[in-house]
Amino acid sequence: MAANTTQTAPAANWSYGAAAGPEGQTVSENPEWEKARQALASISKTQSATKTAQANRTTAQAGQFQPVVTESTAIQQQQQQQYYQQWYQQNQQQPYPGYTYPYNYYYPMAPGPYGGGGYPPQGQYGVPPGPYPSPTTPTGQPPSLPVMDDQSSSYPSQPQPPPPAAPQPPPQSPTSSEQPPPPPPPAIPPPPNSQYPLPPGQNSYNPNNPMPYPNNDPNQMRGYNHNQGRPSYGQSYQTQNSYQQQQNNNQHQQQGQGQYGPGAGRGEANKNKNHQQQQPQQQGPQLWHRMKQAPGAGAMKFNIPKRPYVMTNQSFPPGEQPTGLAATPSSPAAAPATPGGAQTRPQDWPQAMKEYVQRCFTACENEEDKDRTEKGLKEVLQKRLQDGSAYTIDWDREPLPELKAKQSRWEAVPTQRTLESSVGRGGGTGGATRGRGGGARLGHYRNVFSQRSPSSSSSGSSSRSPSPSHNRHRDRNGQRHRRSDSESQSDSSMSSDLRTQLPRRNQKGGRGRGGDRDRGRGGGERGRGRGGRGNRGRRNMDDANSTVLGKKRKGGNAGLDFHDPHREAKKQSRAARFHNTKMRSEPLVLSINNLELPKEDLSWDDCPIVGTCQEITKIYLRLTCAPDPATVRPVSVLRKSLLAVKAHWKTRQDYPYACEQMKSIRQDLTVQGVRTEFTVEVYECHARIALEKGDHAEFNQCQMQLKALYKDNPSENIGEFTAYRLLYYIFTKNSGDITTELVYLTAALRADECVSHALSLRAAWALGNFHRFFQLYRRAPRMASYLIDKFVERERMIALRALFKTFRPDLPVEYVQSSLGFLCLDSCMAFLTGLGVTFFPSDPSKIDCKISSACLAAS
Amino acid sequence: MAHITINQYLQQVYEAIDNHEGSFCAELLSFKHPHVANPRLQLASPEEKCQQVLEVPYDEMVAAHLRCTYAVSNHDFVEAYKCQTLVVQYPFGISGDYFGYIFSSLPIPEGFDDCRMIFQAEQQLLRKGKGKLGDMLEKAAEQLMGCFRVCASDNRAGIDDSKKWGMLFLINQLFKIYFKINKLHLCKPLIRAIDSSNLKDDYSMAQRVTYKYYVGRKAMFDSDYKPAEEYLSFSFQHCHRSSQRNKRMILIYLLPVKMLLGHMPNHQLLRKYDLMQFADVTKAVSEGNLLLLNEALAKHETFFIRCGIFLILEKLKIITYRNLFKKVYQLLKTHQLPLDAFLVALKMMQVEEVDIDEVQCILANLICEGHIKGYISHQHQKLVVSKANPFPLLSSSS
Repeated sequence: MAANTTQTAPAANWSYGAAAGPEGQTVSENPEWEKARQALASISKTQSATKTAQANRTTAQAGQFQPVVTESTAIQQQQQQQYYQQWYQQNQQQPYPGYTYPYNYYYPMAPGPYGGGGYPPQGQYGVPPGPYPSPTTPTGQPPSLPVMDDQSSSYPSQPQPPPPAAPQPPPQSPTSSEQPPPPPPPAIPPPPNSQYPLPPGQNSYNPNNPMPYPNNDPNQMRGYNHNQGRPSYGQSYQTQNSYQQQQNNNQHQQQGQGQYGPGAGRGEANKNKNHQQQQPQQQGPQLWHRMKQAPGAGAMKFNIPKRPYVMTNQSFPPGEQPTGLAATPSSPAAAPATPGGAQTRPQDWPQAMKEYVQRCFTACENEEDKDRTEKGLKEVLQKRLQDGSAYTIDWDREPLPELKAKQSRWEAVPTQRTLESSVGRGGGTGGATRGRGGGARLGHYRNVFSQRSPSSSSSGSSSRSPSPSHNRHRDRNGQRHRRSDSESQSDSSMSSDLRTQLPRRNQKGGRGRGGDRDRGRGGGERGRGRGGRGNRGRRNMDDANSTVLGKKRKGGNAGLDFHDPHREAKKQSRAARFHNTKMRSEPLVLSINNLELPKEDLSWDDCPIVGTCQEITKIYLRLTCAPDPATVRPVSVLRKSLLAVKAHWKTRQDYPYACEQMKSIRQDLTVQGVRTEFTVEVYECHARIALEKGDHAEFNQCQMQLKALYKDNPSENIGEFTAYRLLYYIFTKNSGDITTELVYLTAALRADECVSHALSLRAAWALGNFHRFFQLYRRAPRMASYLIDKFVERERMIALRALFKTFRPDLPVEYVQSSLGFLCLDSCMAFLTGLGVTFFPSDPSKIDCKISSACLAAS
Repeated sequence: MAHITINQYLQQVYEAIDNHEGSFCAELLSFKHPHVANPRLQLASPEEKCQQVLEVPYDEMVAAHLRCTYAVSNHDFVEAYKCQTLVVQYPFGISGDYFGYIFSSLPIPEGFDDCRMIFQAEQQLLRKGKGKLGDMLEKAAEQLMGCFRVCASDNRAGIDDSKKWGMLFLINQLFKIYFKINKLHLCKPLIRAIDSSNLKDDYSMAQRVTYKYYVGRKAMFDSDYKPAEEYLSFSFQHCHRSSQRNKRMILIYLLPVKMLLGHMPNHQLLRKYDLMQFADVTKAVSEGNLLLLNEALAKHETFFIRCGIFLILEKLKIITYRNLFKKVYQLLKTHQLPLDAFLVALKMMQVEEVDIDEVQCILANLICEGHIKGYISHQHQKLVVSKANPFPLLSSSS
């Protein structure tokens, strides 16, 4: 989760950028929103892949929020990223709506457009190449795009309203459907090729985007996209977005507008571009790289155009905002996230919860805090949503997760924040974008990005995957990216398959972080199915790794780059984390009631089964699964079975057969939860048979069961079996159990013939009074002698030792025979000779005790 | 302490944790501490409060503890058990630097134990027919075993913070359960663990006393009377003088062992610890009065059986035989004692169905065990005893 969240976060960042653009005004709040969105997005992701498309959107939105945050940080880089994200979102959203078809068309088309570079503006954007890559990722999504488009299309309507809300991107998230522009990114995927071309395209895109957005109504945008073959656009859009974002970063407030604008413009531009740009596309990649390096300039340019767009967007928002915004910025964010993750839930989120999320993020002062909050919220909210308690909990009273990080850091170490935020969140996406845009500007960033970007970016993007399109792209893109960034251009243009590949490539090449992430999310979720899942897994892994790496890198970077300030801040943050993480973000619920009492593991009483089998005999098989009534015999049949077994036993004395049949009868009784007198009878019968054959293991099982059964089913044989139990304890020399048994012996039981005999025998045995012991042995009632037989030999040996040691000079065999309970002299002699006892040569009837004693001792 | 508010209590817990005051923290979570009786702490749902003050693992622990006090005050021991289970399971799941401090004083199980015993009994009443007798205890034992493993495997921490300090306490709790459910064979590995521990002699005296008490009991049941006497004597001598009840419990097992080894308690001791049930037994054994012994055993049979020492006391009959026969020897003043004389003596003691063969049997056992020095001449039906010290002191015989 954490990894995912982080990853998602990055994506969120991207989206944020977008959102920020729109929300640029709300920038200060945005950071919080971003986290919330991220969290939501992650949740949504986790919740369901199906939601992917939505989720993507949401994530994208979330990303927007994040960007906002960055803005708050006032870090241009972050802002840029955010912008990019915004762009992406917008782009994606737009594409989604109408794009499905277009995509297909576009894909082929896309290459053209991309190459077309027809978007001169893109060229400008090209500068931001870094951001573009992310867009490229969306392109990777193309396959998924169709789906995205559908969803997006549906969403778009909603999203469109949001455009006005642009500032509120989060709220829009639901509306983000508008943003379906993300879908375009998917469309873009094919563009991956386009991506490369993107740079040029981007330039064009930016202009385009702004145009479309402004136009915008998401519908319009969609339309554009469709017409234009947004798929490619999507990619281009993304790229554009990134560019825009950069620009946006520069122009925080404007960004939002710009994004929207760009989105629209992109759509259009994309169309144009797609056609025109095919050639450029190939160039694109290169351009991208270049662009990346020089993000700042590009961004600036873009920003300007974007702003106007943003404005237009703002106009849109009204429509969207009303719904989303009213709910609350946080809510929107949440909503988007949920939609993606929970499928449609985001929108359904209880207002209180949305507000809660908002509060949580507003409470965050640091990126780290937000990250933590995000993680915590994701888990919590996800649980809540899944079990439905989200709708019953009093969110107003819900304690906020505690954050210890403090604002001071912000002031002191803005750069750190940015780094941290980027790293922490997405690790990848944010970082990547930043790296691109900011990297050029700041050596640190570059380093960070470079280090992080490979792993983190890809991973981060995948996890965050706010935009469906991105996800789709991811699958393809992600794979390709990993494989080779540079490859794709030609391939992408070639075919749809290629397209998919291309996106990947694009992503890879294009700093693919953002793109990858997005793709991964969208693609994975939408499921491009197989690949998507696999990718997801991989992505997740990557994400996790990336996050880890990101952290490490952060630390390393911080140490290297920003020594003092960062260190302190980090220390504080760490300490804060330590404490914060320990505070419960979720209401403590003692799981007492969940604890089960130590019952019998499975009570057959709970699931009564009535057998239908009519077979008298049945082979015993150890149950390994739930019993099948068809193979279980009802009691009426079992009665016959018992009689049959008894008769068989009496006539043939076939113990193995009898034992098996008895066990199968016992099993059927147990399975049916029958604990009646008949059960007692069965067990007694089996115990006796086992006793007779000296199978004391089986006997003990029956005896133990009988002990329990007698509690409910008094039998006239209680005394008998109690005595057996006592004797059995003597056999096992278990004085503890004997004592326990004595405790529960009632006077009535003591009076029982068998029990009193057993007690006497026990006393004689305890005192070593073998004389009395063997007397009792010979008088053993019922089947007690079978049991005593078990340890008679043992006792005889002990007695014999004592005798040999005590009697001098000789001991008559007859005395031994009578004392040790031998029935006849012969058996006694056999026993003695078997021990190697020495007899007096003069009188064979007398034992030489001295020599025999030594003999016994030796043995 | 007994009247503090919930907030004060939580604050104390917080500070205890914060300051690594393990023992104090332990007290605050113990059921032996007066706060348990504080109605202000007996909350049905303390979760929220705890959550606000304490960090993650601890809030649940404390909340469960408070809930437990609440349950106990309502005599809902089943719930109390569940709560305590929560309390116990948590600390052991914590991986962190802090835990060592807290654990070294074993706060949690302390409460767990007390409570468990109570509701264990309750539990059985509550669930008549459902579940088996020792189920609850066995579950608890499993849990403690888990804790024990954690402690025993704590090889990283320094000796001061080591969770190994918790071993003995846990072992003692496990002993309690095992003795209760007659699973003494499960004690062996635990004893071995302590025997091989280099902290063996450094645990708190209270824990060591408890440990020796159980180990002594186990040795007694295993008929290893010499070590049993050693352990129980240690336990008795080092048991705090104010713990009269504990000393009495120790004596219940120490007395039979001592008597078997030939050391008879004096009247004062029995009176001091209210163990007059042993008075007649002691008298009968030292006098060789088999009849009295049988009567005494029968009279207090319930008590002895409940204490689990009936079978041990029964073995005093052998000592009684020895003393009885010694009297016969002293009366006859000869080294060649006719077996009939012993038969008469036994019959005087109203031993049922006794015959000359049984006399020989009894004598054989006495000789075999070293209580009498001599031999039986079957041919002459005589017991020939050693001229020197035919009845060696019990304490000197093995």
